[in-house]
Amino acid sequence: MRIGRHTYVIEYGHLALITLIAGLVFWYLLDARSVSLSVNNLLLVEPVSLFTLALYAFIVPQCFHRVDEAEAAAIASDQDPLSPTAAPDYSDLIKMGALSVALGLMVFLLETIGFDIAVFLFSAAAMVVCGERRPLRVLVFSLAVTAVAIYGFRAMIPYPMPTTLL
Amino acid sequence: MIDVSAFHDALGIMFASAGSWGWIVPGLIIGLIFSAIPGISITMAMAIVLPMSLYMDFFPAIVFLTSVYTGAGFGGSVPAILMNIPGTPSSFATTFDGFAMSQKGLHNEALGHALFASTICGIFGYVLLLLLIEPLADIVLRIGPLEMFAVAIWGMLLLGSLGSTYISRGLLAAAFGVLLGTVGMNTAGFTRGTLGIPVLLDGISPIPAMIGLLAAGQLLGLAGRDYIIDADGAREVSIRRILAGCWGTLKYPGVLLRGSIIGVVIGAVPGVGSSIGNLIAYAETKRTAKDSATFGTGNPKGVIAAESAVASGEGGSMATMLALGIPGGGATAILIAAFMMHNIVPGPGLIQSQKPMVYAIILNNMVQATVLLAVGVAFIYVAANVVKVRTRYVLPSVLVVATLGTYAVTGEIAGPITLFIFALLGFALSRYEYPIPAVVVGILLGRMLETEFLRSYQISGGDPLYLFQRPGAVAIVGVMVASLGMTAWSKRKQRRAEAAEEAALLRQLEQDKVPAPPRASAIKG
Repeated sequence: MRIGRHTYVIEYGHLALITLIAGLVFWYLLDARSVSLSVNNLLLVEPVSLFTLALYAFIVPQCFHRVDEAEAAAIASDQDPLSPTAAPDYSDLIKMGALSVALGLMVFLLETIGFDIAVFLFSAAAMVVCGERRPLRVLVFSLAVTAVAIYGFRAMIPYPMPTTLL
Repeated sequence: MIDVSAFHDALGIMFASAGSWGWIVPGLIIGLIFSAIPGISITMAMAIVLPMSLYMDFFPAIVFLTSVYTGAGFGGSVPAILMNIPGTPSSFATTFDGFAMSQKGLHNEALGHALFASTICGIFGYVLLLLLIEPLADIVLRIGPLEMFAVAIWGMLLLGSLGSTYISRGLLAAAFGVLLGTVGMNTAGFTRGTLGIPVLLDGISPIPAMIGLLAAGQLLGLAGRDYIIDADGAREVSIRRILAGCWGTLKYPGVLLRGSIIGVVIGAVPGVGSSIGNLIAYAETKRTAKDSATFGTGNPKGVIAAESAVASGEGGSMATMLALGIPGGGATAILIAAFMMHNIVPGPGLIQSQKPMVYAIILNNMVQATVLLAVGVAFIYVAANVVKVRTRYVLPSVLVVATLGTYAVTGEIAGPITLFIFALLGFALSRYEYPIPAVVVGILLGRMLETEFLRSYQISGGDPLYLFQRPGAVAIVGVMVASLGMTAWSKRKQRRAEAAEEAALLRQLEQDKVPAPPRASAIKG
């Protein structure tokens, strides 16, 4: 992005993250103030929220990096593949993303399809994401994890765990 | 101080009921295993075995339950070191340097340091308890909200030692964490930020949030690796190296002593316990260390400081329980229940009427801490083998156990959902260099900060001079300010010395450059 005679690189992800945090804090402050303006309610919440919003204003400029055009061109041509600024390993990022999606699906489906089925499917998916390709191993290990986890936790915790098969 | 005749009688009770010693090893093993499972708390482990103790005599029952307590005190550090997931919140500070050591292939040594610090400081904590049970109880009775608030602030000072590259990002992470810790209904009855979800009335559950934040940074990141530890040769599990780690702990007596004293004092405060003690001990050790820059990158002192406070904190919370009948946390509440099931009520009356029995319980805890060394070495030898297992087997198992563990904490699906949301948040925060521990500390202490601040405000009527009416709070604030001042002074001295050294080096280089021309002239020639 060009502003005046300078070129800037923007960390959109970082900007989105801190804007989300600032948005949440601002909403939390408004929510707390809508409940009551009493000191007993806002004693800690209000000063810490205002401090957080002030920090947001301070951090936002860190998302914009000014780059000299010649320098930017030099960086682009001399990319060191071993340097920390080198492009991230996308296959690892895809694996992490897939594992996160699998974890999310398990968490939200635990009560819908039963703890046993959800745990089994997650174990199998996680093994495949991490590189296991032998179906028998995936099947046997996932079954073992499911059985140990379900029976073990059922024996230990006082809460009911809805299951479909076990 | 100690009552010699009661102490003599206590030894008599110990040896007369030598059969009860047989419960020590099973109790330790149960405690170690349960606390090594993320989400399964010490309280839950003790609640599960409590019914078993009903059928025992009083002394064996207490020996069994306190053994579970002792084992659980150490067990949480094993997953903290090997996988960056603290088994219990009190092992949180152990992750800072323990996991970093593990990543360098020093997991054997890190586990050895943690075990030996736990053993020595556990014994030290109980020795202090034996000597100071009555005065300590008297001090605990004088602690009010202002002192608790000062302790919570002390815990927050850890943030200064987390060493983030960007101070502003560390502060934002901490402030955000504190605000997350205040979500729900506060002590004055005001409900904020719940979005109408009933589960959030009690606030965000800190254990699922903590596991989520830490799991994101590490466990999900392990998906691209074949083993937890990358280097092939570093995955060795060796009894010799574990024992070397144990022995190496003795090189840091100051760290052990400081951690123990902080652990006993903070552990004795009801409702605070070792979950803050380990943070304060870590922060104070880092602040006073000459090599403070290496903390967080695998400095053994970080592991030793955190574990020494956890272990000695047990002695502190037992003091409050035995002398006052006040449970410092869930685990000591279960112990009180066990006492009551045998028609014995802990408190000042117990100390007066059954002092030999109280001493016998304390002495037996010292025996347990000693036995923990042998049982612990065997346990960590088995547990450390997890580094040899491929991530394709470790990751699904650990994530499943962590998810079900968070369900065990809350009893509702809210636990696993909290874990997932905080896992995503943790991933995003770590990607942009925000210190995750700052958020965790904020969540752990946010509610306590608000509650105690509010109580102090209500009692004082908003008068800041009220601080001077509370000598305990003045003392805590004084220790904090003195510690910060001394650190700033020593850091300034260190910086000056480094600058002088650098200037001297530059001068030396300049002088060395003068005779250099002959080489150039030789080439020319």
